[in-house]
Amino acid sequence: MQNDNRGQTTQMPQNWTAVALSRDVPPQVVIPSVVDGRELAVWRSQSGRVAAWDDRCPHRGMRLSHGFVRGEALSCIYHGWSYNEAGLCQRIPAHPDLVPPDAIRVPVQVAAESGGVIWVALQETGQAPPSLGEFVPMRSVTVEAPATTVAALTGVEIDTAGALSVDLAETPCVLLVQNLPADRVALHVLVAAGTSAAAQAGVSRALEDLRRRAESERQPA
Amino acid sequence: MILYDYVLSPDCYKVRLLAALAGVKITLRPVDFHPGGEHKTAPFLAMNPSGTIPIFEDDGVILTESSAILTYLAAKAGPAWLGDDTPEMRGRVAQWLAFSQRLSASIGKARVHDMLNKPADIEACRKAGTQCLREIEAALVDQRLAGHDFLAGDRPTIADLACFPHSMLAPDGGISVDPYPAIRLWTRRVRALPGFIEMPGIHRLHDLKPEPGPIPERV
Amino acid sequence: MTANPMIDEWYPVGILTELSPEGRDTMLMGEPITVACDAAGDPVVTAGDGRSLPVRARYGHAWTSLGTPAKELFDIPEADQPGRRLVDVGVVRVKCSPLRAVENFLDIAHFPFVHTDILGAEPNTEVQRYEVQIREEVDEVWATKVKFYQPQAAKSAEGGITTDYMYRVPAPTVSILYKTCPPRPGEWDVITLFVQPLAEDLCEVWPWMALFDDQTPMTDLIHFQQMIFLQDRSILENQLPRLLPLDPGMEIPTRADLTSVAYRRWLKRHGFTYGAQLVAA
Repeated sequence: MQNDNRGQTTQMPQNWTAVALSRDVPPQVVIPSVVDGRELAVWRSQSGRVAAWDDRCPHRGMRLSHGFVRGEALSCIYHGWSYNEAGLCQRIPAHPDLVPPDAIRVPVQVAAESGGVIWVALQETGQAPPSLGEFVPMRSVTVEAPATTVAALTGVEIDTAGALSVDLAETPCVLLVQNLPADRVALHVLVAAGTSAAAQAGVSRALEDLRRRAESERQPA
Repeated sequence: MILYDYVLSPDCYKVRLLAALAGVKITLRPVDFHPGGEHKTAPFLAMNPSGTIPIFEDDGVILTESSAILTYLAAKAGPAWLGDDTPEMRGRVAQWLAFSQRLSASIGKARVHDMLNKPADIEACRKAGTQCLREIEAALVDQRLAGHDFLAGDRPTIADLACFPHSMLAPDGGISVDPYPAIRLWTRRVRALPGFIEMPGIHRLHDLKPEPGPIPERV
Repeated sequence: MTANPMIDEWYPVGILTELSPEGRDTMLMGEPITVACDAAGDPVVTAGDGRSLPVRARYGHAWTSLGTPAKELFDIPEADQPGRRLVDVGVVRVKCSPLRAVENFLDIAHFPFVHTDILGAEPNTEVQRYEVQIREEVDEVWATKVKFYQPQAAKSAEGGITTDYMYRVPAPTVSILYKTCPPRPGEWDVITLFVQPLAEDLCEVWPWMALFDDQTPMTDLIHFQQMIFLQDRSILENQLPRLLPLDPGMEIPTRADLTSVAYRRWLKRHGFTYGAQLVAA
């Protein structure tokens, strides 16, 4: 079952949602994210494997996005319960010799990495994440306005990959759209490969200007 | 060197943190900020008419304002923390020290409002705090594009220490730090520095240590 | 059973030495109240509709109720013991269920991860078997024979010690712990969490202590306890669901959680559900 994005007509239902730039989740980092209203902990193991899990430890409900990564396991900050790659609890520090029952597990979503972007799907899609051509990741920003407002300001429609292809500071960019609750949106921004650092700084400024305009549209007059 | 200190104060923590990172011994004198309001009593107002903490005392010199104390302590005991002795670097560090005032006035104020019931225009504080975090995020992106890991260059300086605590503690005042990937990675770099010490609300990075025991085997 | 049995319980609403004649506006389970003092300095609590609420002055704090308590406020005999330092730690507001705040205070398995190198440290994470009972004659939850190795158990401790603990819940939003008292072996230090429920997902915590410690300045004692509680606060504000689940299924306890299991069972038995949820998602 697909969730579309709050009745927008400009966007097709998505299998994959971009949630972060790969470089922003290096090994042993966990971040909170939201896909189709579902709160997730997105993280990378020490060997480099990305994962997206429900952001909730089944012990006492603590957010796993506050947790810590050791090796291939994610542990909860509250009591240190540690979960293996399958989301199965493998160690409970209060009972270090106990093999935790199989029932203690965290629901695991589908995570993949492509083009310098981490993508998440809430069910198996049978497809690879969208390929975006010769673009490289630049930065992510969160906007306190919906994707439709951002799209309208760029004059471009969100395509079937959930992307806005637009020039910022005269540089071709791809803005990957991640809808967030309460009419907000995260934009994961890629720039044309070969864009200089100085030009990327210019893109960053233009992005902030776009955000400013989208957010002032949202304010009442 | 004496620091008149409150364990929950991010501004006092900046000084405690620099001392720990620079390997300097300072003596802490706890001030009953809450619930006692001791910082507003006559003996403290005599030392600091602003009625704020931290207050720092060394060799007859009394300093207030965490930015000033950071500058003094670094100059005296850890000059590398001031950054390179070039006009540009001096300017950059001073810029961030000045900026950090806005963090205290927005995030700091939201935090004591939400936690300790101190009065504040909470919506204005949160809005200003979000703006500050966005500025730090943008600056860290620029720094990364220029090949630098810290606010004023390739190594941490008091510019980073001045901005670090509020960047982590913003959620205490109802301001999310989820939308700032560059801030997240920069705070991890600070927390991984040798000699780093926490304050309440900033947890230890347990991932820096391996699992202490074996994983029990599933049969 | 009334619609909300918690209405007839006592709750902390202020520190006695901080009361003023003008009063302070606050909330108790969704109802506005004003906490003030009279000319003699005794607490006076008025509800939003103007009615006077019953009050008690005890353990450094003003207590009140929105209903008619059937029992007197619980007893802590150590409060009257000569030589004890009585410490009002100061209020902290937390965006969490009052019941989650109490339950966190009953838990020791989190010490190595949340109070690292103070109340616990890896690899000393094991929680030994302890005893829990609901003492029917006083209708309180008690945990005894609790032990944990602590690098810095108290301000008065010199070095790491194995601390003995007892836990006691005499009221739905009150948790009392008794712990090894380093300067006076054979006595217990008493540390309490008195929790004021403002709303189902918002509370104010009023910690209080009765300690044997002649050396440590009062401010240091206050700061130590505030430090411990503030380390818990970011945990409490990030537990889901916000309301404490009283039905099994959503959350999975282990043997280390016996006190919290008994607490939840006791809450459910009494219908103390303000801040709780009853349907497992």
